[in-house]
Amino acid sequence: MTKKINIWFFLSLLISVFVCIPILTVFSSFFESTSNYYEILKDTFLIEYILNSLTLLFSVLILTFLIGTGTACLVSFYKFPFSNFFKWALILSFAVPPYIYAYSLTAFFDNYGTAFTILTNLFGEGDYNKNIPKFNGMLGATLSMTFSLFAYVYILSRASFLYQSQNLIDLGKNLGFSKFKSFYSIILPAARPAIVAGLSLVAMETLAEFGAVDFFSINTLTTGIYNSWIAFDDLAFANRIASFLLLFIFSLFIIENLSRKKAKYHFNIKGGFKQKEKIKLYGSKSFFAFIFCFSIFFISFLFPLSQMLYWTIKFPENLLDLQILTLFLNTLYLALLSSLVLIIFSLLSNYGNRVTNNKILNLLSTLSISGYAIPGVILAVAFITFIAWFDDTIIKSLGLLSVKKIFIGSILGLVLVYFIRFYSLAFNGIKSGYEKINIAVDESAYLLGYSKRKTFIDIHVPFLRNSLLFIIILISLEIIRELPITLILRPFNFETFATTAYISASEDLLEAAAVPSLFLILIASIFIIIASKYILREKND
Amino acid sequence: MIDNFFEVKNVDFVAGGKIKVRNVSFKIEKEGDVICLLGPSGIGKTTVLRTIAGLEEIQNGHIKLKNKIISSKDKNVEPENRNISLAFQENSLFPHYTVEKNILLGYEKNKGKKDQQISFKEIVDLLDIEQILNQYPHQISAGEAQRAALARSLLTQPDLLLLDEPLSNVDQNFKEEIQVKLKNILKSLKITTIIVTHDSYEAFYLGSKCGIILNEELKQFDDPYKVYHLPNSIEVVNFLNRGVLIPAKVTSPKSLESNDLGTITGNFTKPFPVGTDVKLLIQPEDLQHDDHSNLKLEVVDTKFRGTSFIYTLKTLSNTLIPVFVHSHHIHQHEVDEKFGIKRPIHIEHLVCF
Repeated sequence: MTKKINIWFFLSLLISVFVCIPILTVFSSFFESTSNYYEILKDTFLIEYILNSLTLLFSVLILTFLIGTGTACLVSFYKFPFSNFFKWALILSFAVPPYIYAYSLTAFFDNYGTAFTILTNLFGEGDYNKNIPKFNGMLGATLSMTFSLFAYVYILSRASFLYQSQNLIDLGKNLGFSKFKSFYSIILPAARPAIVAGLSLVAMETLAEFGAVDFFSINTLTTGIYNSWIAFDDLAFANRIASFLLLFIFSLFIIENLSRKKAKYHFNIKGGFKQKEKIKLYGSKSFFAFIFCFSIFFISFLFPLSQMLYWTIKFPENLLDLQILTLFLNTLYLALLSSLVLIIFSLLSNYGNRVTNNKILNLLSTLSISGYAIPGVILAVAFITFIAWFDDTIIKSLGLLSVKKIFIGSILGLVLVYFIRFYSLAFNGIKSGYEKINIAVDESAYLLGYSKRKTFIDIHVPFLRNSLLFIIILISLEIIRELPITLILRPFNFETFATTAYISASEDLLEAAAVPSLFLILIASIFIIIASKYILREKND
Repeated sequence: MIDNFFEVKNVDFVAGGKIKVRNVSFKIEKEGDVICLLGPSGIGKTTVLRTIAGLEEIQNGHIKLKNKIISSKDKNVEPENRNISLAFQENSLFPHYTVEKNILLGYEKNKGKKDQQISFKEIVDLLDIEQILNQYPHQISAGEAQRAALARSLLTQPDLLLLDEPLSNVDQNFKEEIQVKLKNILKSLKITTIIVTHDSYEAFYLGSKCGIILNEELKQFDDPYKVYHLPNSIEVVNFLNRGVLIPAKVTSPKSLESNDLGTITGNFTKPFPVGTDVKLLIQPEDLQHDDHSNLKLEVVDTKFRGTSFIYTLKTLSNTLIPVFVHSHHIHQHEVDEKFGIKRPIHIEHLVCF
């Protein structure tokens, strides 16, 4: 189509520039002067922040790799009792955010916690506390994140294993490789890009995690940003730490992008693909495969769910104290409103990119989708910084009334920041749907007399319908679990399940955190079950 | 009164910021004429069609349809506002509609514009696509998708139909049948058509005029017979792979002398002064076999082509010359044997460069 600077171009440009604002704000604040807090921190805790972030990062990466690829390998290559059930049940762990997992760990293993109660009920009164292991601090945070995030590695490596042709496996046999050698010299390297992509997502989430590390009082770069802003009111310094973290995250983001491109090789298989036959396991092998998958399913999902359910039943007054319906409606309202806004603008922006095919626009789009790599805390702080600057310099100089209240502590502000954070999910999801529509389809439509608008509405939107539904579910799921942005930018007295759980937990009222946590897990689980149809799409499976 | 039904004048065809074909001019005089554009892959044939359809703009020259400018530097009628249909080479069916619905969209576009001259059923029967009507584009083969897209385009009954390699994905055994049907449909519906193809035999069969695009230029635009027998440049000769060029000297207005073949008589397609050194095109059917001739050349290769043999002969100067012999010829010659060429050699059209 003729490449023009038209309304679609400006729409796409506007959306991309808007999403780029926080990145520019963070980096532009880098050279601003900071308070004494920076000097104090530089000499005391800064190294600790960095070391803690790195320790957490590498521990979580190793564990998620082992669990994610291990379970993916079992359900992709073997048949054993309930293997089809585990195939989707393992992704239910997504329904439990790391901070809720952290509450469950503490609730169960803490002194006089659930484990203590169970032992007392079984064996009578006793001094069990000293024998019950404690999962606090770094260990607790590592486990919380591992069991909450391993599904990223599981989903991507499973998809990669699944699309490996039987020919590849037969080749190993033909070369005389043992099963183990076939796995590490053929299957694993072929799935490497997908595994790296999964691990990069885990890394980004780990570095961005706020709730769990805050709960276990571990000082990481993310909590450092939050503290420098909340406790020391030093936005410039918060931005300075954020710049370091962003640079690190961008490196991971680039690695993730590069490996995802390579991963396409595993998915674009046409002709010559031979469907893999799953190997049926017998006896002890079958038992161990079942036990391994069940343990992971139990630890990652059933355990936190049961813990929260147990406390909800044990302390029913918390259920009555909370306005469940209001929380439910608030959570759903935020999730659906933001998803809709994201879908509409991502559709427009994708279509703008498609019809104008402008290089600058493509570059800006690539930059704008990096919002997902930016921790929620940074985004929220950057947004406040930008609004403050905008209000102080532009609005005041025009003699207008302050706009801070419109954007900070409002639903509008919250939706805008969610928009920046989850734009990549919506944009990339729609983009991959669009990639399936040959450009000749658009041109055929024009030649059949369709205008651009009619082509968009009559051809693109109906074709993308399923992708759009899936993206809405995915974004809603993220927003339901999201904590720091909601916490920082929500309107006064506006609570969601996530914020209510966090506030109760931070006030050491873990049993009160159980009710909102339980509801959060249940709603998220429903969304996951609906979305699993798309996530686990298989050929002839 | 329409001077020419369709006209391209001095147009550079551009794709991706790069000129693909320069300074092109050609015209279709009468409504209902079919012309073909031939050229190797990637030369810019599709760009020409896309530009005519309005999907690419032009910076010089103009394109006129029914005496109205539809493309020029200052004017570009949007694709949806030209009554031009383009059937793409790749699958361009709407993925969320069945084949039937896809084809009917073409019918809907034409509703109320013209008297319907062909029905949906007729077109479906002609292109033999009834069995795929209820299927979705991803469920059918590339050849079937191409036929469905062709049906959709034909049903729009446009002022100008553009077909980009319309039969490239159709099975060989079905191709000739479709070619015959297509020619009949275009003729009966009187649809002016430009077909792009790299298959010269398809172009010669379907087109009343053929254009050869080579090295960023429209090298020749002529009747298929002339393009085939009277190529106007060495590039066209090489592209059509129509024979070899041998050195010769013009000895009179009706003859020339070759070191390899001796005296050759005939009519020059363009005049050369006596004494000029030229390159003479020898096509496979120009020379005749004669076992009794004293001009004998060595056979270096034989190709059996069903109805004919093509012998490749080596001359004294090591030039390789193809010679066509009917396959019912009384005896065959093996490699390394001697092969007689009938003398005196007379070639009706002496094509020299």
